[in-house]
Amino acid sequence: MLAAAGAIVLLVAALIVLAWRRQPAGAKRGGERVWIFGLGLAFPAVVLAALLGFGLVIGERLMPRTAPDILRVGAEARRFAWTFTYPDLPGRRTDGVLHVPAGRPVDVAITTADVIHSFWVPRLAGKLDAVPGHVNVLRIEAEQPGTYQGVSAEFSGTGYDGFAFTVVAHAPDDWAAFMSGNETEARQ
Amino acid sequence: MNALARHRRLTAIWSSRPGWKGLFSTVNHNDVGLMFLVTAFFYFFVAGVLAMLIRAQLATPHSAFAGPEIYNQIFTMHGTLMMFLFAIPAIEGMAIYLLPKMLGTRDLAYPRLGAYGYWCYFFGGAMLLVSLLLGIAPDGGWFMYPPLTGKVYSPGINTDFWLLGITFVEISAISAAVEFTVSILRYRAPGMSLSKMPIFAWYMLVTSLMILTGFPPLILGSILLELERTFGLPFFQVELGGDSLLWQHLFWLFGHPEVYIIFLPAAGVVSTILPVMASTTLLGYRYVVAAAVALAILSFGLWVHHMFTTGIPHMGLAFFSAASTLVAVPTSVQVFAWIGTLWKGRPQLRLPMLHILGFFATFVIGGLTGVMVAVVPFDWQVHDTAFVTAHLHYVLFGGFVFPLLAALYYWLPLATGRARFFRLGEVAFALIFIGFHVTFLAMHFAGLMGQRRRISTYSPEDGWTAINLISSIGGFILAFGLVMVLIEVVLHLVVRHRAPRNLWRAGTLEWATAMLPPAYNFASLPEVDDREPLRADPDLPARLARGEGYLGEPNGMMRETLAVDVASGTPEHHVIYPGNTHLPIVLAAVTGLFFLALLLKVLWVAPLAMIGVAVLAWRWVWVLGRREDAGAVSVGCGLSLPTIAEVDRPPGWWGSVFLLVADATLFGSLLFGYAFLWTIAPGWPPPEWIAPSAIVVALAGVGVALSIIGPFFATRANAGGSNPAVGLALSLAGSAAIAAALVAMLMMAPSPTGHAYGATLLVLGGYGILHAIVVALMAAFLIARVRAGYTSPRRRAEIAILPVWGAYGGGIAVVILLAAYLPVALS
Amino acid sequence: MMDLLRILVAPVVWLAAFSAVYGLQGVLCAAPPEGTVAGLPMARVLLALSFAAALLVQVALLVLLLSRRFGASRGFVRTVSLGGGLVGVVATVWTLFPVLALPLCQ
Repeated sequence: MLAAAGAIVLLVAALIVLAWRRQPAGAKRGGERVWIFGLGLAFPAVVLAALLGFGLVIGERLMPRTAPDILRVGAEARRFAWTFTYPDLPGRRTDGVLHVPAGRPVDVAITTADVIHSFWVPRLAGKLDAVPGHVNVLRIEAEQPGTYQGVSAEFSGTGYDGFAFTVVAHAPDDWAAFMSGNETEARQ
Repeated sequence: MNALARHRRLTAIWSSRPGWKGLFSTVNHNDVGLMFLVTAFFYFFVAGVLAMLIRAQLATPHSAFAGPEIYNQIFTMHGTLMMFLFAIPAIEGMAIYLLPKMLGTRDLAYPRLGAYGYWCYFFGGAMLLVSLLLGIAPDGGWFMYPPLTGKVYSPGINTDFWLLGITFVEISAISAAVEFTVSILRYRAPGMSLSKMPIFAWYMLVTSLMILTGFPPLILGSILLELERTFGLPFFQVELGGDSLLWQHLFWLFGHPEVYIIFLPAAGVVSTILPVMASTTLLGYRYVVAAAVALAILSFGLWVHHMFTTGIPHMGLAFFSAASTLVAVPTSVQVFAWIGTLWKGRPQLRLPMLHILGFFATFVIGGLTGVMVAVVPFDWQVHDTAFVTAHLHYVLFGGFVFPLLAALYYWLPLATGRARFFRLGEVAFALIFIGFHVTFLAMHFAGLMGQRRRISTYSPEDGWTAINLISSIGGFILAFGLVMVLIEVVLHLVVRHRAPRNLWRAGTLEWATAMLPPAYNFASLPEVDDREPLRADPDLPARLARGEGYLGEPNGMMRETLAVDVASGTPEHHVIYPGNTHLPIVLAAVTGLFFLALLLKVLWVAPLAMIGVAVLAWRWVWVLGRREDAGAVSVGCGLSLPTIAEVDRPPGWWGSVFLLVADATLFGSLLFGYAFLWTIAPGWPPPEWIAPSAIVVALAGVGVALSIIGPFFATRANAGGSNPAVGLALSLAGSAAIAAALVAMLMMAPSPTGHAYGATLLVLGGYGILHAIVVALMAAFLIARVRAGYTSPRRRAEIAILPVWGAYGGGIAVVILLAAYLPVALS
Repeated sequence: MMDLLRILVAPVVWLAAFSAVYGLQGVLCAAPPEGTVAGLPMARVLLALSFAAALLVQVALLVLLLSRRFGASRGFVRTVSLGGGLVGVVATVWTLFPVLALPLCQ
């Protein structure tokens, strides 16, 4: 996308610079057909149609599809902390740290207790807002075990600067330990 | 009468009162336009200083320059001032100043309305400025998302300053848009058909129609949020049936068209200046017009792309992703039409052209990053990061500020009659161009590395330190460049270096006025049969000064011009404008009192201020008109035309129609909000429904019938020479019946503070009652005018306006009752 | 005013149809209708039908703008209004095709 954009910028710049090139009087310099219909209409229409199709296909792939081994977790934001819950572990909640198994798709059900926030772990997925009264589901998947930084990415007043959380993706053994309720052991 | 005597007579007729006090009573577009521009550039300066503070804060990690409380105010006010108090008013000022000259006429359609708009802007802007100076400025971000801006999380007065101040300022945008639309359609030089209009006028026509349909959703949103904050009507509180997403829809229904409202006039500037800089005409004029129209309407189908991360289903996002890519096509048509124009002519690198090249480089990059964020998965990553900040500055600075600077250097000699003496502009351009790109190109990368928008500080471990420092240095280079522009303008005003007439060899009519333009613009109005009349006839200015056009002989002390047929430009009516008056500033002050009362929560003053507004508005229209028939008036060149009091569709009719377009958009947005809450908000159905009443329906039915039949009878009776008072009285009774029916409906509605359902019903009913009162006042006014002898079978113009308002008031009453009762009756 | 109408009508009708289909999609997801037609869920059928209707209206508008009775006679307004008519058709196809291609409510 960046390369294509760069190429288009160069094309436009070149066309502008070439306008200064002196030509013998009467030389044909391209009429409405070239400028309006060729470059103005046809060129962007083709590029944009391709880009739109590409974006929608990628977007479709990122949607939370049904799969056999999905884990569901809940994420509730409030100024300025995230609380995570685990429907598979009733009563279990963690503050500021979301525990997930590595290599498994996870659906995060996001909501808020006060103002609008946004759940964003750049390395795992795009962001999705936490909107009062609504529950939005984001599909994330950590391929490798490890710690992933997340932030709230919707302005929420003073305190927004440091409003962050972490996602810990566990290897299968660690995850089993976490599931059995042994959180300290599960922490790496 | 020789040219000099004519000049003296016309100057005496058209000038504002002498001295600085004359500014308070002037209604002349030459004054009002410049007042708008000077004030707008003042706010550009203030908002620019705020931008410097932001860059100073972010230049280093762990900056202790400003805490988040202050920083939140700074970035909120930077965006708010730039958008609402700089960009839009600068466009208004430029168009107010230039349009009559380009269109070959003497003033805009409603001179007093233009002045009223200015004073609303002045007082509303002052409110926001005071909040900034006192450190109680809005701090919720320029987008003001509730619930953060609701009473619970923003208990202070800060948010109220935004909601009330911006709504107050918006009055000026709406009134300017009505004025531009009617002026462009009706107030042109004779013979100027739609296809011969200067391209800038086309762009401003499109922009004005966009303001009329783009601003009302935000005005409605501000009203609803202020009602929630002051009276506890829960439109955005989810626990009481509201939904904060409603605000986002209303805000971006405005916010996205807003971007194009800012860009299109700038594109009009480019389309005007660029061909002159290449000594040629615009390539593909009609395709450029079609592209501008397409761009304007497509831009209303993009608003949800600001909400890609709010959890809307992918199909919904796909609609808006598609529309967001499509909108790039008409933009590209314009860009390539401009480049083709350069190829067609012989471009020269003069100072305005430098800024246009700056525009190309910057805007094309901004457009491309815009297409990137239209791609949904990409947006999920970069949304609310510095990437978007960079993108929007490329679009707005590239697409607006560079063309505005080109316009400044291009038209300043016209406005002052002087040429540049010191050559600071080229250096200033270099600093601005380099400074801008250093600042904002760097910012893209900060965003891609994860820097969020609106954070007040960051830590060295984030790894953005170098980028932010570079960005801040660039920002200060940019600021130096802009200060140099300011210095050059000041020098321009100080140094008397006379400019030659029409120094750019342009073809449009503004260069046919004297430099600087006299208060009356043209001593006589030209007959136009070319898109560039001055190129077709270089002798035109002298001929006009000799009085060889229309209205060459001043008539008493009347400010006269002509109104033409919309399509062909054939002269139709003789127009008499009102002269200097303090009414606009007084009316604006009383309007301001209303907003101030709400701001300071002295609520009992608000209805008094509304009564004051009604009294002044009555006075406003009363001073027009006359008590005897004028018949056909000679306008020169052997032509006689009816005067505007003696036509079926006077300026007031045209203005009413376009004002009602904005009004209907507001009402439509309200109905959208109602339907949105009903289907999307989690807290529905409400605990209690309204009880439909047959009496209310019957009463309203009578009222609606009367408010349509009454004005019809009045018009008929007046045309037939009998007294229209009976018809007017029927109209008055109809409005009273509608108001009574809606009050009764509200009495049977659930409490407005208990659930968003009741709150919405209250606003719907209140909207209908307010309009019933307005129509009743109009009918009462007309009865008084008939009794005072201001109407006759010929002088029918005033009565002709009532049917429009009567039909609208009746129509909305029907819709309101349907919206309130039908869903209950069906379920 | 007639000329202004000719220029604006097709894109404005697109905007109305676009907003309406978006609204319909919201309603259908909030309260999914029951039943299927030829194996397709009712919501999909309704959306596809409204897409078809919007397209039909746009084509009709384009024919009107080309016609002698409603179309403009002056060259300039004719070009601009036909441009608007084409924008209406293209925009309808371009922005509403997702009703056929994407899942309904995810």
